[in-house]
Amino acid sequence: MSDHCDALLERLETFLDGECPQDVHRVVEEHLRLCPPCLDRADFERKLRALVATRCRDAAPPGLVNTIMAQLQLNQPA
Amino acid sequence: MATPNTASEGPVRQDLTDDERRRVFAADAMPYVDQLFGAAMRYTRNRADAEDLVQDAMAKAYASFHQYRPGTNLRAWLYRVLTTTYINRYRKLQRRPQEVSADGVRDNLDGAGDFSLFDRLDGATSPSAEFEVMQKLPTDAVRDALDDLPEQFRTAVYLADVEGFSYAEIAEIMDTPIGTVMSRLHRGRSALQKALYGHALRYGLIQRPFDPPLVGESDQENHG
Repeated sequence: MSDHCDALLERLETFLDGECPQDVHRVVEEHLRLCPPCLDRADFERKLRALVATRCRDAAPPGLVNTIMAQLQLNQPA
Repeated sequence: MATPNTASEGPVRQDLTDDERRRVFAADAMPYVDQLFGAAMRYTRNRADAEDLVQDAMAKAYASFHQYRPGTNLRAWLYRVLTTTYINRYRKLQRRPQEVSADGVRDNLDGAGDFSLFDRLDGATSPSAEFEVMQKLPTDAVRDALDDLPEQFRTAVYLADVEGFSYAEIAEIMDTPIGTVMSRLHRGRSALQKALYGHALRYGLIQRPFDPPLVGESDQENHG
């Protein structure tokens, strides 16, 4: 693991969040292109977030929208 | 009134007639009910409370819709109303046995430091099989891992990783500085990964290594 890798590790979370300044973003991207182990790590983190996102979604019960529409009288004409 | 105060930042929408407000709210805000319910489920962790919370939040949002500035981020505004409503009304009322005996949960957070699931799995499984291991986790185990995080960490991680909000949006929704958001995300994700690791061990998807590399567990004092 090189110094470059350590530097990447520090910035990876912000990078994956899309919150790095553009120049930092480019540096991280460049490193990932050249360093397969770091790319593996980045891919793992990305996939893990996607997995959590997919598994932790809940659709509203079918009647909820109508209940709220009725509660707030949103269907009624003026 | 526990609704977001945007009045200081520009003109507010006070010119709508009741009928217009009704139509605009139904057309623009109501489509978010489905997503908001997902967030409410993670906040309250049960369906009945989640339904109540979304209803309450939408009633609040409608009542204070004149404070929403047209053209700004309606989705984030609605999430902020939902989050504020939850904090003010539900959090105090909730009784969860899980939180009474939450030592393990606390440990996950306090001891998480820079816990990296990737580093733990690297070597514990065959090369490049790390993610496949996590995919084998039952959905409930993944949900429990998130749901068991302490509230502020759960909320930040949920808003970022499930809803895709930016740091700035999460700061607005949670009414907290961006630096706090980043720190909650970092600690929350570390604790989430630690919990997922624990579930993977429990389900026998991985073996406990003989010489666990205790990454991040020796520097707890840096994260207190």
